[in-house]
Parts: sequence; structure tokens; C-alpha cells
Amino acid sequence: MNKIFLLFIMCLLTVHGALAQNTISVQGKVTDASTGQPLIGAGVVVQGTSTGTQTDVNGSYTINAPADGTLVVSYLGYTDKQVPVNNQTTVDVQLESDAEALQEVVVTGYGTQEKRDVTGSIASVKSEELVKQASQNPVSSLQGKVAGVTITNSGAPGASPQIRIRGAGSAVGGTDPLYVVDGTFVDDLSFLNPADIESIEILKDASSAAIYGIRAANGVVLVTTKRGRSGEATVNYNGFVGVQRVTNQLEMANAQEYTTLVNEKLLLENPDATLIPTGLPSTDWYDQVLRTAMIHNHQISATGGTDNITYSLSAGYLNQEGIVEGNEYERITARLQTDVKVSEHVKVGYNGIFYNYKSEDVPGDIFYQAYVAPPIIPVFKANGNYGDPVDYPVGNFANPQASLDWFNQKSNGQRLTGNVFGEVNFLNDFTFRTSLGLDYGINEYRNYVSQDSLTTVQRSPVSRLTKQRSKSTLWLWENTVTYDKTFGDHDLTVLLGTSAQEKKRNSLAGSVNDVDYNSEADLYLDLGDLETYNISEDGDRGTVASYFGRVNYDYLDRYLLTATLRYDASSNFPRGERWEYFPSVGLGWRVTEESFMQNQSIFDNLKLRASWGRLGNDQIPRNIYRSQVNRPDRFAAFYGGVPYSGASYTATPAYTLFWEIVEEVDLGAEMGFLNNRLTVEADWYNKQTKDAIFSLTPLGFLGLSGSLQGNYASFRNRGLEFIANWTDDVSDNFSYNIGFNLSRNTNEVTDIESENAALYNGNLPLGGYQISITRVGDPIGSFYGYEVAGIFQTEQEIEGSPQPAAKPGDFRYRDLNGDGVITDLDKTIIGNPNPGFIYGINTGFTFGNFDFKLDIQGVADVDIYNGNRNVRYGNENYDKDFFDNRWNGPGTSNSYPSAKLTGRNLDPSDYYVESGAYVRIRNLQLGYNLPESVVNTLKMRNLRVYVNAQNPVTWFNYNGFSPEVGGPPVSQGIDRNVYPLSATYNFGVNATF
Amino acid sequence: MKNILYNVKRNSFILISALAIGGLASCSEDFLDVEPEGVGVGEDFFRTPAHARLAINAVYGNMREWNVIAFAHLAITTITSDNAAKGSVPGDAGFLDEYDNITYTATEGTLNGYWNGQYQGINLTNQVLSNVPDIDMDANEKARILAEAKFFRAYYYFNLVRTFGGVPIRLSVPAPGEQEDPATLNVPRASKEEVYAQIVEDLSESAEVLPATYDAANQGRVTKGAALGMLAKVQLYQKNWQQVIDLANQVQGLGYDLVEDYRSNFRIAGEHNVESIFEIEALTVPGTCGASNIQWAEVQGVRGQFGWGFVEPTQDLVDAFEEGDERLEATILFRGETTPEGDVINADAPNPRYNEKAYVPSYVTQDCGYGRDQNVRILRFAEVLLMRAEAENELGMTDQALEDLNRVRTRAGLDPIESATQEELRQIIWHERRVELALENGDRFFDLVRQGRAAEVLQAQGKQFKEGVNEVFPIPQQQIILSGGTLTQNPGY
Repeated sequence: MNKIFLLFIMCLLTVHGALAQNTISVQGKVTDASTGQPLIGAGVVVQGTSTGTQTDVNGSYTINAPADGTLVVSYLGYTDKQVPVNNQTTVDVQLESDAEALQEVVVTGYGTQEKRDVTGSIASVKSEELVKQASQNPVSSLQGKVAGVTITNSGAPGASPQIRIRGAGSAVGGTDPLYVVDGTFVDDLSFLNPADIESIEILKDASSAAIYGIRAANGVVLVTTKRGRSGEATVNYNGFVGVQRVTNQLEMANAQEYTTLVNEKLLLENPDATLIPTGLPSTDWYDQVLRTAMIHNHQISATGGTDNITYSLSAGYLNQEGIVEGNEYERITARLQTDVKVSEHVKVGYNGIFYNYKSEDVPGDIFYQAYVAPPIIPVFKANGNYGDPVDYPVGNFANPQASLDWFNQKSNGQRLTGNVFGEVNFLNDFTFRTSLGLDYGINEYRNYVSQDSLTTVQRSPVSRLTKQRSKSTLWLWENTVTYDKTFGDHDLTVLLGTSAQEKKRNSLAGSVNDVDYNSEADLYLDLGDLETYNISEDGDRGTVASYFGRVNYDYLDRYLLTATLRYDASSNFPRGERWEYFPSVGLGWRVTEESFMQNQSIFDNLKLRASWGRLGNDQIPRNIYRSQVNRPDRFAAFYGGVPYSGASYTATPAYTLFWEIVEEVDLGAEMGFLNNRLTVEADWYNKQTKDAIFSLTPLGFLGLSGSLQGNYASFRNRGLEFIANWTDDVSDNFSYNIGFNLSRNTNEVTDIESENAALYNGNLPLGGYQISITRVGDPIGSFYGYEVAGIFQTEQEIEGSPQPAAKPGDFRYRDLNGDGVITDLDKTIIGNPNPGFIYGINTGFTFGNFDFKLDIQGVADVDIYNGNRNVRYGNENYDKDFFDNRWNGPGTSNSYPSAKLTGRNLDPSDYYVESGAYVRIRNLQLGYNLPESVVNTLKMRNLRVYVNAQNPVTWFNYNGFSPEVGGPPVSQGIDRNVYPLSATYNFGVNATF
Repeated sequence: MKNILYNVKRNSFILISALAIGGLASCSEDFLDVEPEGVGVGEDFFRTPAHARLAINAVYGNMREWNVIAFAHLAITTITSDNAAKGSVPGDAGFLDEYDNITYTATEGTLNGYWNGQYQGINLTNQVLSNVPDIDMDANEKARILAEAKFFRAYYYFNLVRTFGGVPIRLSVPAPGEQEDPATLNVPRASKEEVYAQIVEDLSESAEVLPATYDAANQGRVTKGAALGMLAKVQLYQKNWQQVIDLANQVQGLGYDLVEDYRSNFRIAGEHNVESIFEIEALTVPGTCGASNIQWAEVQGVRGQFGWGFVEPTQDLVDAFEEGDERLEATILFRGETTPEGDVINADAPNPRYNEKAYVPSYVTQDCGYGRDQNVRILRFAEVLLMRAEAENELGMTDQALEDLNRVRTRAGLDPIESATQEELRQIIWHERRVELALENGDRFFDLVRQGRAAEVLQAQGKQFKEGVNEVFPIPQQQIILSGGTLTQNPGY
């Protein structure tokens, strides 16, 4: 570390050394030669020196240059221009657009490629998109921006969103994509500050992702962080302050409505029942536990360098309160990156990202507690004690305020991610690169349950301290050789590489009773009662080895070919099954380059592409092919009042096990119209997961606890993606853009090995209720239950019906098999939690110094299972919608049942299935660039202030807090009181010095 | 040109070497052989005496499982009977109403849980029986461990045969790391008689080996008395009256006796008293609550005060106790009463009555939850006396039958029966069996079936018991589906 620091100091010195010259100050403006539009961020370098700068938002620059020197001006997608200074102090430069370039370069994994040469489906999101919204997690910023990518956000501070690329392709294996940050493979991006990111590329189709072989079955997210550029040092500050508020707060029944409902219920159960008293004051438990929360975020970065050494460094601080009282999250991020050109042919560099977080946690079920707590219970009694359910004859409920006050848990974690690389260029056309990536992380939490008696149900006779520390380490060593050559009309790039990786994880937890707690310093496990110690440890280790190669070839810039082959092995598989080839091929045809297209004026660009590839998924449950020895606590035997451990072995593991294989075909077209102001991109894909790991229920007779896991199932995700963008620069002062994306995905289980087999999942905590089914012909994790035909209005309707035990006001279920009784055989598919459509609309304009941005995002054709309504043991509170629509006498409702939500009324049915469709204003931002005169006075290059609203409005019909539910594929979309997303209103500043 | 080609060749060679060196780590299979972290592998198991002990411990541990002794057990054996209704509040576990009303069908999930729970126990016993014989260890200990496993295998098959009739029999498992012969993975149901024959064989062999008593450090292990007593019960179900008498005599010969205070049988202080023959062990292990997983008492505890409130004793059961029967107060916990241990039962508890045999005083630790120290009494000497009385009466040995019966009655504070006809005495013994063992070990439903009067008694309770059908439960539909039809359904379902 010390050496790295020294190196860094050295490069700073070098930068300053370069400034000592006899020079004049030159200023000017860089514009597009055809439109006159200023070019922002164009590079201006004094030829033969390391002196350089970039143009600001107005295209202006100022540079110190020798009076007889030459300026080299460059901009991506434009031809470089050399302009002699000739003693002038003002040098305006007009750059010619490089007609050949469709201006965009995308990162493709072990290389970059111009967008026009890409034969697969790759989405690219640049830093400007990321910083123009105030997200704390980079993945979250992608919501609604990328076709085919479904992102489900959680409102919990610091939480990582769930991401699915082109549907769920695994049942019990992982469905997360591979994240690659500057070449290092990581599990999530929560450690990254979005402001540190240069671009995010999402490799969606198999041919793009195939270079990552076994990691790529769920798609690949490539993150490139910002790197230094040679030129004058630039210092940036980005910061915002804001407040967060919950939107769409679920309205619950108040005390009066609640007592009405409970008394209706009691009378239906027993006409002579004792009723609960009315006229009690009302508590709104959501109002009680929720708050308007503060958020502030600051990041400062510096980049610069000489021709030989470039650097980039940043530090960030985020402080976010949760919308639940007492929830707080604090994050520090720091990044340091340096590239050194050791000689003309040798380059070395490193990149390190440090992340530190700490949080004050709240009980995971606080939203559940607030949902169910009867509104007749006061927060506090007159004597100052917590309102206690024992005082009200409605059952045992936690007082949510007492839960919040009692809960005492803190978490923290540190993580260091980075890589070191060396690159040698030889024989002109070859580049050898070796890279070592590292990821080291620690997470800790401690929880203290004090000995207390807050209410009759919230009490603990003893105190208990629990601590856990988990550690993960990863190293990844990759070597590649790239050969890049143009022979006349032929362009050829060949890549060969090897990769080896080891990943380890270990988690150690302990708990003990009766630790005296006076200060944080007392919370040591060895200060507790020795009889009550408990420890648990859990670990995991895996290795991967791979060889890979890729050929990119194009002829006449018209005919494009990408072919990859990866040969992969993972320790997750037994010898003999662990090596596998993953080939792919992509073809592209740039039709507009053909001579017969030269006389048409409709298309400025037309490219057709087709690809096929095969990917693997090794994110499967560990060690399932081995017979393991299980030593659960529940196997302990007691002899003479002393516990002795017990053990057994799994007698029937999946001895033959291999990869989950994904095969995907992608057909796409890219088009440009009206001077490329309108661009359209469309893709069709068919992604088949074969030999997916699937849990089969074994015959009970075998006596296995749990399920059999093996390569038992196949799925298909098929869909369409459509993207259209319109960009127009109307005048010097006004430009605008409108982007639209829409994706359709259908998921289907195509095969399960064992006939009639289905995987039931989605447990509700009510005894034995399972909501989800995964079976052939239906989407993964479909909701499964009864169809409600109506509500029994009278006793006469019940007589002779298949539900003789029903009461008026109960659900009338459909007897689908007509056997005269309602049994499990009458259950059917009642909903699909896999989103059918996702879409986004991203618009913006700049007018003079103002800029405006509006992003809309939505999901349609998706179902949610309202588990909140379904899980009832007794007198839980009801939502207001239920109160308004319930059955309370013949003829009052034929869709909502009576308040007596007990017994068979709680069986899974389509009453609990609701549409999860929503539309949301994701981001709304208005910015203002302060005029140059003001900025110059402040000795700044640029100063922009903005106001921003994130998630201010969401429209949906679902009777819950938030339609973003998520969950693992086989049990997704079941709402069990999720932490809802909140609206954030910020004021922010971007300043460049 | 030649030179350049040579250069390319040479450099390619360097390049390939570099890649190969880089790839060295990756091409090695050893690099990819990763042992599972933190978990033993099956191939290393069943090598040492310690492994044999771990395996038999798991067999004992499994007796506390949810599917073995909690909801499923109580639903099938007790809520179905005239002794108890579902209890708790209507909204909680509504599916248990199907047992109360005897309207369950083959798809009811708890039934499947019960089936799986028994076979999981059988699997653990088979692991011992298939592997321990090959372990080099003390011959006496080895024999004892095998005998313990046989006892539990018989116990589980007895539960299965009483509940479902004939079931598929599995008596061995493949050794760790060996693949199973596909032919043994899915077998049809054996006949009821075959299952009983297997149970008798296991219990007989077990009784020959097991010791009559253990030292204090091994208290809780299954004994010779337990094996003989269980065998007596199995013979009772098969109406092999003479064998019942012989076995009961052998049990008596081991020194068991009735304790004076009936109620003390169900308190923690009364565990392993002179009357107790077999109990499922329960214990609060403060640091390791995962081992304190028995929920038999918790699910029956007073709702809102101790537990969940299931298994509500019926008025019919209350009425079954004769005037002056001390067992009524020991069996039923009434709403509002004060227990001898000083607990006041909530007057507004949702159910009028709870199972007092599952009651644990509030001063007992609840560090791992309520009732985690309450052993479940499976077999007491009083039951052995009643089994013998029943058998003696069937064989016309009225005096001996009355003697055994009256030992039980007088302990309960009742007058002895002086004389009765065989039929009268049969009814009296059946009645005595009901009140002596009510809500205790889950025999009532099966007793009614065995006695041939289930339809009569249960229909009188308003239950929809169908004669010729409900004497056995349906084979879980899921098992029939998974077996691809190899398993057949019981008639009428």
C-alpha cells in the first residue's frame, strides 16, 4: 500500500513539473463543423507535451501553450485536428465528424469495439446518464433505461436491487448476472459510487456474453470506472442533499373500522359472541413508524496526468436515513487508479476501490408488524408504558413502536476491490496483457436483545448477544493476447486468453446470554453466561479455470463476424463432468454500406445481426453431488439430561451433475433515419435453459429430508426488445431527446425430468400453505390455488354446494374437476409473477443554460400475490380497501369475503392475486449551468446546480405498499410486507475546478 | 520474409509458453478438486465407533421432529377422536378442521408430512442398521446400538401401519457414496400383515439385546421394557391375546409399578419414574435451541398465555370421567383455574379447556420456547396393566382382568369393580383405557378402530366417519403421484 501511495505522489509531482514552461494563455471554443454545436469534453493537448485540457459544457477551453506550438484537438467520433497557435490567444477549432464512426465505443469484455461493429445485443449506459439521477446504487440507476433488463428495487438503505436480464433462466440456481468491474468479477455493485463509473455495458445475448462462459448464463454487466486522461488536472465535486418520503402509503382500517370488522367477524363465528368495545382512539401504525428521512451525498474526484502517467482518484460519503425511524446507513467510498506507460511498448496500472459502510438496522418484519397491529392499541398508555395488546381482547400483537425501540442491531462492512495489470505491445500488432484482480470483503453485525418486558408479548427473560463476522476473498488471474491487424479490406482481431479464479467465503457467528450492556465496549461474547454459548460456522470455497478465444473479423466494413469459444471448468462439478465448451457466433451485415443502398435516403444506417451462443451457469447449490454428513442441532439426543450430537448422511445425492446450459438465439436490427436523429433498435431472442438444476421432491418412502437436486428441468425465455431514440439539436440554444424502450418476455418451463413432477414453493407462514408452482407448460413460480367463483350469500346457496361447511360471506371456490368436493385437485394456475412487459421513456432537453430530464419507467402484465392479506391468524388489522368492499350481508359483495377471514377463506385463491403493473416517474431533474462570468469569478470551470425528484409518483392498483416485490424465481412475487421504495427530493451541485 | 516469419514463429512460441504458464494453475485438475467446506463427506462417515454413536443419536433426535410428534401426530391420533377438537382460534391452521370433522382427503398436506416424518425416522434407523455392523467396535455397544435402531424402526412402522394400513417396507440404505439399485427406489405397498410381521421381528430382536436399565448417564435410552411393552401393544392390535399377557408379565417382571400420584407422571419431576417405560426426551439447551425443537407441549399450551392452544379437550371427554376420578383434574386444564403449581389460567383464553398433560408451569425456563422440557410419555406401566386386563378378559380370565383393572382404578381414587360379564368388562376396560390415557400418547383413534366401534362412537360426535373407509387414512396423493402409480390408494378415497 505504501508503494502505491508513493507512486501516486510521484505522478502528482510529474504533473506539476510539466507546467514549468514559457508560454502564453490560449483560449477558444471547439465546435462541430457541420452543426456548430459546442463539443463538451473534447481534448486539447499541446503537441509533444503532456499539457492538456478538456472543453467545458460550452465547448470552451483555456490552455497555456508555447506561442509557436501546435494544439491537437480530439473528440470521440471526430477526426483529430492539429492547429498551430501562431501567437494567437484565441483559437477556435471546428472538428469534422468522422463519418465512418457512429461515435460510440462499447466495452465487450477483454476489449472494446465500435458500436457499429458489434454483432450481438449490448446495451451501454454512460456516466452522464448515471450522474443525472441521484441513485445510491449503480444497478438501481439502470431501471427503465435498458430494454430486457428487469430491476426490482428495495427501499432499504444500502440494499442491492434484484436484476434479471431477459427473464429468469434458473429455478434454484443463481439468477444474478455476472458483474465485472474493470476486469474483476464481483457479486454485486453496492460498493460502487455511481459517480465513479465511466460506463456500464450489459451483454444481453449469448454471443456477446459467451466470452465469459460459465458465468454468463444470466447475462453480464460490465462496469468501467473512470480512468485518468492526460492533461491538466480536473477536480470535480458532486453532491446533493435531500429528503425521502414514502409514497402510496397503504391506508389501513382505523379504530372504528377495525372494531366494526372484528365484531362482524365475531358475530359470524358465534351469534352470542362478546364484542370488543367501540369508540377507542385510533393509532395509525404506519404514521407511527415512518418518517421523512434525510439523505446527503458528496463526492470529490480528481483526474489528470501526463502522456506517460494518468491518474484518477475520488472519495465519496453517503449518509442516508431509512424511512423507518431508527434506520440509518452511512457509506464511504474511495478510489485510486493510475496507468503508467513504462516505455513505448509497456504499460502497467492498477485500480483500487475501497468501501466502508455502517448501518443501524431495524427489525426485518417491521412493515409486517405495522400492517397487522390493531389500530385500537395505543402507542403508549396513560402511564407512559407501551400500549399492550393484553389490554384488548383481540390477541397477541407486537407494539411496532416497542419493537423499534427494543431492536438493537448494528452492521458494518469493508471491502477492497481492485486489479493490477501489465500490458506489452510487441511485433506492432500483438498485445499481451496480464491482470490480477482481487476482492476482499468483511461484513459484521451485532445484535443485542436486552432482558426486558415491554409488553406481554415483547419480553425476554434473558438478554442475548449475537455477533457474526463474514469474510470473503477472491483472486482472479487472467492473461490475454490480442492480435489486431488490417489487411486491405479485411479487419481482423484475435484474442486468446486464460483465466483462473479462487473464491472463498467464511462466516463465524456466536451468541451468548447475560452480557452486561453499559456501553458498546461491553459487547464481547466471552462476557456472557458460559452455559449458553452457541457458535456456528459456515464456509465455501470454489475454483474456476478457463481458456478462451475470440475472433472479430470484418470485410469491407459490411460483413461482420464475431466468434468465441470458451473452455471452462468449475470445482462445483465432479471430475469428468467439469470441463465444457461454450461456443458462440455472431454475424452482422451493415446494409447501408452496400452500393445498392447508396441511392436511397430513408436509412442513414441499417445493420442486421444474428447470433447464437451457448453459456453455462455454475451458480448452483454447492456440493450437491457429494454425499454429505449432516449434523443439525435437531439430531441431538439427550441421555441423562445431557445433549449429544447426532449425524446422518445424505444417501441419495445427485451423483451425476453438470452445467446448467443456456442456448440463445438473437436476431436484431439497428436503424438510423433522418440524419441519424432517429435511431431504432429491435431484437428478438429465444433463450433456452437446459439441464437446469431443479429440486425434485423425492418419494417420502426414501426418508430423505429435503429435496433431490439435479439437472432435471428446462425453461425458455423468449422475447422482443424495441428501442427508439430521437435526438434533435434545434438551435444553438435548444436541443432535446426522447428515448423509448419496451421489452416483452415470456417464460415457460418446457421440461421436468420426472413425470407429473412439480416444485411447490412460496411458503406462507400459515401452516402448510404454498403459493407457487413450477411445472411443465407454465411459467416458473406461477401462482397456484383456487378460482373464486363468488361469495356465498345465503345458507341456501351453501346447501348442496361442494363446501357444506361454508358460511355466508365465505369464498365459493370453483369445483374444477366436478367431483363435488373442493380439494387440492381443484387448484389451478391463478397468476404469473414473471413480468410480461417492461418499458421506459427517457426524455430531456437543454435550453440555454438550463437542462431538464424526465425518466418514466413501468412494468405491465405481471401478478402479485397479496400475502399481506392472506396471512391471518386472528384479528390482524385489515386494509381500508377491504373495509370498503367487504361482504357484510347478502348482496353486499360477490368478490370480497366477509371479515371472517379464517379457515378455508385463507386457502390460496385468485382473490389474493392482483395486478402488479405500475408506471413510475423514475427521475425528474432540472439543472442550471451558471453563466461563465460567474463561474470564472469563482475560479471554476463549470458549476451546475439542480433539483431532482426520484420516484415522486408511482401509479398502480395493487392493494399494497409497493408493487416491487421480487424474490427468487420459484417463489417470486409474493408480497410479505416489503420495504417500500420512497420518493427522494434533492438539491445538488456539480462543480468542476 | 523468411526472417519475419521466423520472428512470428518464435514470438508465437514465446506467447504460447506465456499463456501456458498462465494456464498452468488452471489446467491442473487438482486446482479444481475442492472439498466441501465445513461439512463432512459421506464416504468418511461410518468408520469409527463415534460415528455409530452419532448415527443412533440422530435416531433419538428425530423423535422430536415436527412431523413426528407435533401437528400431524396430534391431528391424526387425537383431533380425529372423541377426546379433542381442533382448538386454538378458527383462523389458525384451519386445515386441522378436516381432522376434527374427518373430512380429509388424500391431498391434505399434514398427512403427507406425517408419512414423510415416519420414513425419515426409518431412514435414520436404516443408516445405523446398514452401516454399523461393519464398524470395528465394542461388540456389546454395537449390539445395543443395533437393538435401539430396531426398536425405533418398529415404532415408526407401527405408526404407519395403524394410520395407513400396508405401506412399502424399506429395511436398508446404500452405504455412503454408493448408488442405490433403482429397483429398490420405488416399491409397492406391503400387506398390513407383512408390516406387522416386520414390526414383531424388530421388536423381538430388540428386546433380546436391550438392557432393562441404564446408569444415570444413559437414562433416556430405550430399554428392554420399552421393547417388550411396545411389542405387547403391537400384539394387542393383532388380537394375539396370550402373547399380550406373556409380554405384559415380562414387563412387570422388570420391576415397573404404578406411582401413587397420577398427576406426577406428567410433570418434569416425574420423568423416568417407576411407572414410566418409554418417553421422548425433551430438554432446553440454552445455547443450542435448535436441539430444543420439540413442540408437542407448545402447540397444546394455553393460547395467549403459554402456547398455541390446539387440541381442545371435548365436553364428551370431561363427561367420561366418573364422579371422583382424580384423573380429570390432571388431564384437563380449565380456563380460569389455578394449577397446583400456582399458575392462573387466563379466564378469557379462547378455549374452555386445554390438555393438562402438556402443561408446563410458568416457572420452568422458556429460553428456547414454551414446553421444551416436557417429555412425551409414550408408554407407562398403567397401560401395560390395561393391555393385560383386556387380553385376560378376552381369554375369559375375568379375575385376573379385574385385578389389573382395579390397580389402575384405585390409584385414580375410584372404587374397584367387583364383577362384570365379559362384555361388560370389555366396555369397562375400554372406558378405563380412555380416561387413563386421554390426550397422552395418541392411541384413542386407533383404539376405537381396533375395537371395531370407531364409526359408532365418532359419528355420535357429529364427525363424518365413513365405516369401511375411514378406519385407515388415505395414502398421501403426492406419494401416489411421485411413485407413478406404484403406490395404490386405500378404498373409498
